[in-house]
This record gives sequence, C-alpha cells and structure tokens, in this order.
Amino acid sequence: MVFNEKIVDAGELKHIEGKIELYWIYTSGEAGDRFFKALKDEGKFLAAKCTCCGKTYFPPRIYCEYDFSETEFVEISGEGCVRAFAVATLDNNEESLKNPEIYAIIDMDGTDGCIIHLLGEMDAEDIRVGMKVKPVLKSKEEREGRITDILYFKPV
Amino acid sequence: MLMEIERIKGLNFHKKQDVAIVGAGITTFKRRLNETGKELSYYAVKQALEEAGLGIEDIEMVVMGSAPDAFDGLHMKGEYLLDGSGGSDRPYMRVFVGGGTGVFAPIAGYWHVASGLADVCLVVCEEKMSSCHPHPQSAFKYIWDPILDRPLQPNLIWIFALEMRRYMHVNNIKHEDIALVSVKNKANALDHPAAQLAERITVEDVLNSEPMALPVRRLDVSPPSDGASALIMVAPHIARQLTDDPVWVAGVGWALDTTWWTNRDLYFPRYVAEAARMAYKMAHITEPRKEIDVAEPYDPFDYKELHHMEGLGLARKGEAPILTREGVTARDGDLPTCPSGGLLGVGNPIAATMGVKVAELYWQLAYRAGKRQVAKEVTRGVAQAWGDLMQVGTVVVLSNKR
Repeated sequence: MVFNEKIVDAGELKHIEGKIELYWIYTSGEAGDRFFKALKDEGKFLAAKCTCCGKTYFPPRIYCEYDFSETEFVEISGEGCVRAFAVATLDNNEESLKNPEIYAIIDMDGTDGCIIHLLGEMDAEDIRVGMKVKPVLKSKEEREGRITDILYFKPV
Repeated sequence: MLMEIERIKGLNFHKKQDVAIVGAGITTFKRRLNETGKELSYYAVKQALEEAGLGIEDIEMVVMGSAPDAFDGLHMKGEYLLDGSGGSDRPYMRVFVGGGTGVFAPIAGYWHVASGLADVCLVVCEEKMSSCHPHPQSAFKYIWDPILDRPLQPNLIWIFALEMRRYMHVNNIKHEDIALVSVKNKANALDHPAAQLAERITVEDVLNSEPMALPVRRLDVSPPSDGASALIMVAPHIARQLTDDPVWVAGVGWALDTTWWTNRDLYFPRYVAEAARMAYKMAHITEPRKEIDVAEPYDPFDYKELHHMEGLGLARKGEAPILTREGVTARDGDLPTCPSGGLLGVGNPIAATMGVKVAELYWQLAYRAGKRQVAKEVTRGVAQAWGDLMQVGTVVVLSNKR
C-alpha cells in the first residue's frame, strides 16, 4: 500500500459517488407526548419522579432505568444552572460559524437531570459554571411541540 | 425477593483456557487512502499472520470490529468486510460499541478462545472514515436522540467541549496542563511508522491553534483517519509452538453508563472505572498505580487521556495533569502512557485504533516496540477505549507473565 503519498482530494482517485436515500419518522413516545404537549399548550415543564427511589428524571420518561419501576409526572419551573458550556466556532461540516453558538448542559431545578440547550442574551466571556438561567420560549402560536420551542436559556 | 448479586460480572466464570496474543498488524493511518476497507483489513491481517508465523488456514474464528456504518456508507458493513478480514468459510462476527470497539473487539476475541470454542482467533478492526461526506464529523449528527438532542444540531466536538469544561472546572485544571498530552503524544508518534500527525509541537501551538468549540482547539483533537489493525489470540498449547514470549490476557472488562448523557456528571468517566474494576479484579490487581507498568488510555482528545487515567485508577481525580507535567507519563517515565503516540499522534480510525491500544501494549510487553519501547522494565499494562454516547468503557489488561 501507499506509505508516502498524501491524498488531499479523494475525488482524484477512481471512485463512485453514492447516497443512502432514506428518511425516518421518529415518534416522541408516551413521556415525550406529555412533555411536549405541556410545553406547547401551557408553556410548562414536566419531569418524572420514580415511584420507588424518588429520582426525578428530566427530560421525563415512563420508567426508572435503575429500579425498573414506574414514574409519575411532576411540574418543574424550567429554570436551572449552567453545569458546563462550549463555544462552538465550527459547524457540523467543519465550516466556520459566523456567529459562534454557545451550548450548555443545564442542571434543571427540582430534578436529578440536565438537558443540553443553547444560551442566549449573554456574551461568552460572562458565562460561569453554576450560573442561574431560565428558558425563553417561542410565542404560543409559534410553538410546535418540539425541543426548539425553547429558543435558548438566558440569565435569571 | 431481593437477591444478593455480585455487581462486578464475569468474575466467577469458568474459563477453559488462558489466552495469549502472538501477533499484531497495523496499516498506515491516513486522512484519505485509496485502499478499500476490505483491502485495509487484508494488509493488517497479513502483517499479524506473518508476525505470528501462521497462515490464514490456521485461523479458526474471526472477530471484526468496526464503528458506525455511516463512515463506510454501507449497512451490514461487517458482512461487506468479511472477505478482506479472512472471515470466509469460518465462524465470523462483528462487534460494535462506537469508539470503544477497538478494545471491545479483542475482548470478544478473548471469549472465543477462553471458552475453548476456538484455539486460534483472529481479531480485525477497520475504519474508512474518508468515504463519508461532506465530512466524517457529519455522520455524528445522527447518533443523538432524534427528539431531544438532534433538533439542536449538536456535534461530538461540542459535546466534548462541554465535558472538557466540566473536567477542568471540577478539578481546577488549566488548558496548558491538558495541552501537554497533545505535545507528548504527537512527539511519541514520530517513532511510529503508521503515524498520520506526528510532529514536535509546543503548548503554545496547542493554545493558539484554530478554535473548534472552545475550550477545544484543533490541536486538542485527533484526526479522522482510514486504517485497519489485527491481532491473533491463541490457546496456550498453540502459543508454545509459536513463540517463547507470548503476551497473556490477564483481565478484560467493559461497562456502559446511561444513554441519557446529560444526566451524568461528565467530570469523571464512571464507565471506565467500572470496566477497569472488572478487568483488574480478573487480573488480581489491587493497586493499579503500582502494578501497571505501561498504559494506553484512549486519547481522541488530549483531556481524555487524563480523564481516562483517572478512570483507570492510574491517578487520583485531578492528579493526571500533575503526573503529566512531572514527566511520569513520558516514554522514559515511571508510568509511560500512550508510548505509541496515541490517537492524537498516530491517528483516529475509530475501531482500528486497536492497533495503537491493545496491539501497542502487546508490542511493549513483548519488547517488540522498537524505537517506541519504553525505558522501564515492563510486566503488566492496561489498554482502554471509550465511545458510544461517551458512555462505554472497554479495558484489557495484558501481562508477559502468566
């Protein structure tokens, strides 16, 4: 095999182009339906508490993965704290992003869970781990029952 | 009724026979190669057979490790790779735990031989990432939960940036200390004939390299690669016929943490600690820091080597950067880590990194690592990989004493 030659453009090699032309329909499931309905219709956040150990899952799910027992839905504020954050400057195709995007893991109050979402209305330099944040939702008319109904989280 | 269950699995099992490694092979790792995945597998297997002094007719069973189908662009990639891997007309299986595959495949090879089902098992790992366009990184868009994560369009680099931030925050670690890993591994790779990104760089080079998702910069990251590697695992009576210096598999371990990755504290790799606990117990290792002579922790990012050293019990939490700064992990140090040059220096063709993890450990313990041979005397070593949604830990302990 070739040890010294560096190939920069694979297109110069003898090749065939190909695609896998499929698409998928993903259902949001029992817990997902409840969660997104509450978010879309009422702007409320639901978590799920294990009826056995009391661990509170966010995002909610219908089972506790450790006890294998059922959970019950509980309402939470939707506020939380920044656990970690990243300032993305390249996109998924390694192209430069004009405006860097700030992603954070947010520790949700009243739960044992976190979610990943965007941070907004703040500069990257001002973000601190542990900072309190709250969600900014799309208007009720614009909400579709998706995770992007939350536009971003901003400082409290 | 609640039963008392031993939490560490696999320790009271009845093994038919011990398992030795008698040969290994690795292709060059490059960003783009003309060879197909089948051809890459063929070259790696040929090299391993040659080192072991065996022919393909001596191979009883084959384990193939390869990561997402999306890279090569073929569903049923295992079946596609069969002929180049020597799998035709014999028992063959593909195993896959994302980035953890490179150490999981030899664990599967171990089952084959330890159980007595096979006396000679070939383990092959392959990845051809360059087939995937517009960028191999694009494939990672499709590993997330389609409802909760994917609409936000995260990619792996950003997620690792979150994990690196958490590791730095909890342990109060500076980027300078993390960058030393990249400096060390890329320099170690200068002695590896398969290396893709071997170079002498400085901490400043890392800190000034292109930002990808801060705190992660270009030189904190290993490159996507094409490549393959192979190992030959045999029963003791076969090993005796082939070599005076086989290397023995002393312990294996693997564990997965929850898929809800946002629900885990990312500062410490629990899944690695669990996997290591299993492997060490099997290998009768109680104090890994004292009993392990050389280590190949998984290093797709510089902070991951440190993170994984702590998971493997080779350093206390937050202590790995200090060991690195003090030169303990250098090739002539007391606990050399990634003497191969690792993924950061040699390259990261996901599953095929078996060639710089388990195969390197085999070469080190067989004293066949050439210019890469560590300075100290070695008896036992540990190799580890990690993957899926940052949740799987795979660990192999090797020893040159039975």
